[in-house]
Amino acid sequence: MLDWILEFVKTNFQPLFRIIIFPGLTFLFVFTIFAVWFQRKYLARLMMRMGPVHAGKVLGWLQLVADALKLIAKEIILPKYAYKKLFLFSAITLPVIPAAAIALIPFGPNFAIFNLPGYTAPLFLGIMSLYPIFIILMGWSSNNKFTLIGAFRTIYLDVAGEIPIFLAVLGVMLWAGTYDLQTIVEMQKNMWFVIPQFLGFIVFFISYFAMIEKAPMDIPEAETELVFGYRTEYTGALFLDTMMGDYVNVLAWSLLMITLYFGGYHGPQVFPDPILNGAFWILIKLIIILTITFTVIISYARLRIDQAIRLGWYYLIPLALANIVLTVILKSLGV
Amino acid sequence: MSHDMHRYLTDPFQEITELGDGLFRLNIGPQHPISGQGRFLVITDGEIVYDIEVDIGYSHRGIEKILEYKNYVQAVVPLERMVMLDTSNILMGFVRAVEDLYGVEPPPRAKYIRTIINELNRISSHLYALGLFAESAGWNPAIFIWTTADREPILDLLEMITGARWSHSFFIPGGVRADLPRGIKERILNTMDYLEKRFEVYEDAWIYNETFRLRTEGVGVLPRDKAIEWGAAGPSLRASGVAYDTRKNEPYSAYPELDFKIVTHTAGDSYARGWVRFEEMKVSVDIIRQAIENMPEGPVKKTLPPRPVKQEALARAETGRGEINFYIYTEGRDKPYRVKISPASFRNFFVIEQLPKIQEIKLADVPPMIYSFDPWFLDADR
Repeated sequence: MLDWILEFVKTNFQPLFRIIIFPGLTFLFVFTIFAVWFQRKYLARLMMRMGPVHAGKVLGWLQLVADALKLIAKEIILPKYAYKKLFLFSAITLPVIPAAAIALIPFGPNFAIFNLPGYTAPLFLGIMSLYPIFIILMGWSSNNKFTLIGAFRTIYLDVAGEIPIFLAVLGVMLWAGTYDLQTIVEMQKNMWFVIPQFLGFIVFFISYFAMIEKAPMDIPEAETELVFGYRTEYTGALFLDTMMGDYVNVLAWSLLMITLYFGGYHGPQVFPDPILNGAFWILIKLIIILTITFTVIISYARLRIDQAIRLGWYYLIPLALANIVLTVILKSLGV
Repeated sequence: MSHDMHRYLTDPFQEITELGDGLFRLNIGPQHPISGQGRFLVITDGEIVYDIEVDIGYSHRGIEKILEYKNYVQAVVPLERMVMLDTSNILMGFVRAVEDLYGVEPPPRAKYIRTIINELNRISSHLYALGLFAESAGWNPAIFIWTTADREPILDLLEMITGARWSHSFFIPGGVRADLPRGIKERILNTMDYLEKRFEVYEDAWIYNETFRLRTEGVGVLPRDKAIEWGAAGPSLRASGVAYDTRKNEPYSAYPELDFKIVTHTAGDSYARGWVRFEEMKVSVDIIRQAIENMPEGPVKKTLPPRPVKQEALARAETGRGEINFYIYTEGRDKPYRVKISPASFRNFFVIEQLPKIQEIKLADVPPMIYSFDPWFLDADR
């Protein structure tokens, strides 16, 4: 029965299925809700408390729905001196950027939303580099001192985090000899790239926290200094939208990490169908990466902006360059 | 030391205008995640802080005036509202002053009970302060919730002894209200064992954590001479290398008979202030153990004579935030004519205002710097 449904869907509705159901809109929405719920429950356990319990009988699973409904029902307040068009536009567009990048990630053999052969890895980075621009627009158009300082900090942090992460991805592309994410995943059938590219992975993993703007690098929204950073002035549904953008951003970078270093959709055979099998393994890996991310979030204090920049320029960029040199040497030796 | 009060408070509509030369005036409070019931006006150029002004008085309740209408036992209740976390230590100074006024010495068992409650309160106050300090350094609320959870057994003990978790109203001039309940000693000792286990966890996860030290070491350095000149109080003073503790320098209650050391640190930065608080909790655990071991038997309170024997009295006590001073003047009735309170937070706020003048402070350093002093607006406002 399941096979028949899969076969039917695959032959008739595949492009639409990819965009709307999996790995498109529905999946992104459901997984974002799951990620927020998972973060709240998991962090609560690490903090010796329960997390949400009341809404929904089992583990408070309806809490996120309740929160979302509450936020949507709230009044949207536009600050008097804000640049209103940009204020609305930047917040509404924010989740679209990482969602567009996720379209390039292969969830199975030749199964991405947008099956583009060729330069998908640089294209992914290109799309993701738009994300901070919208954050800066949000901070600037709010016309508030706290949001403006948050936006400035995003610029600084971007310089400190984006360059090392791009250089780390360059290392992987050099090792694989291709720009194509699909080919990179296929080459990891026998050995994950985290082993030959270990230096690059360390750089990627540290810069990852700067790109997702979570502790210890949640510098732009530093609660104790800047209230809520660049999104201080957003209320109601707009705030929900910025939060959605935040989590889709986490999802996009985690999926890139899995694709580049942890063998993408490869894994032992569980389901006979290769696409179902790939989707299963990519979700398992995603949950493990998120667990590690949340554990790091709770274990460290926030760095100061100058300390984050020093980390980026003094340690991560030289390490990434050393990784590239090492990769080139190993490649020319024919390893 | 000319201190220009209310330098930036003149024009409330200056909020959205710049002060010139690209300077911003940031209103940290009274509605801000770190501010508490007050306001910090921070003059910044982007990330560099030029000046901090502390705006107190948002929670002024006129406690000094209220005390003029209460007799010395009634006065205990409004007085406790100064610092709800640290009620018995605040009360200790007042009770000492009144006992001096009436020439009464509390019985020895009452002194030991007071010491135990004071130290339990000090641990709970320091735990709360350190949790806020960790959160101000940009930690997720993890540490704050840990410390809040670990205050619970202490509050349970206090509830068993006094009947209330926070506002005990347990010390009265002449002794304490009641004796210890049966079986409390084992319970206290068990809690102390539990706390010592938790302190080890804190050391591993938090006190010696790399990012926490990065954020707090070398931030808001208060040199020894300046600490004395500006009148820093309590752990903030001891973190600058001054071994001054009222429990040792002017011993009261059972402290002269107990063996403990003053915790000091030489660095004088935010980390040192937090570290001194952390080590003081261990000292408090030690003091409680000794007090339980050496506790004498006997009555726990004395009745005050009808008339005070003196006209004025001055007494002090070491609270969680530093030394508190009480001056009482009376005209011989059962109520004071005037009570003057000099709390520790007020003096520490003055130090916070002075710190940006002697060193460069970044905006991100402001919250850990402020919270390393454990300021309490309700304490300063009275």
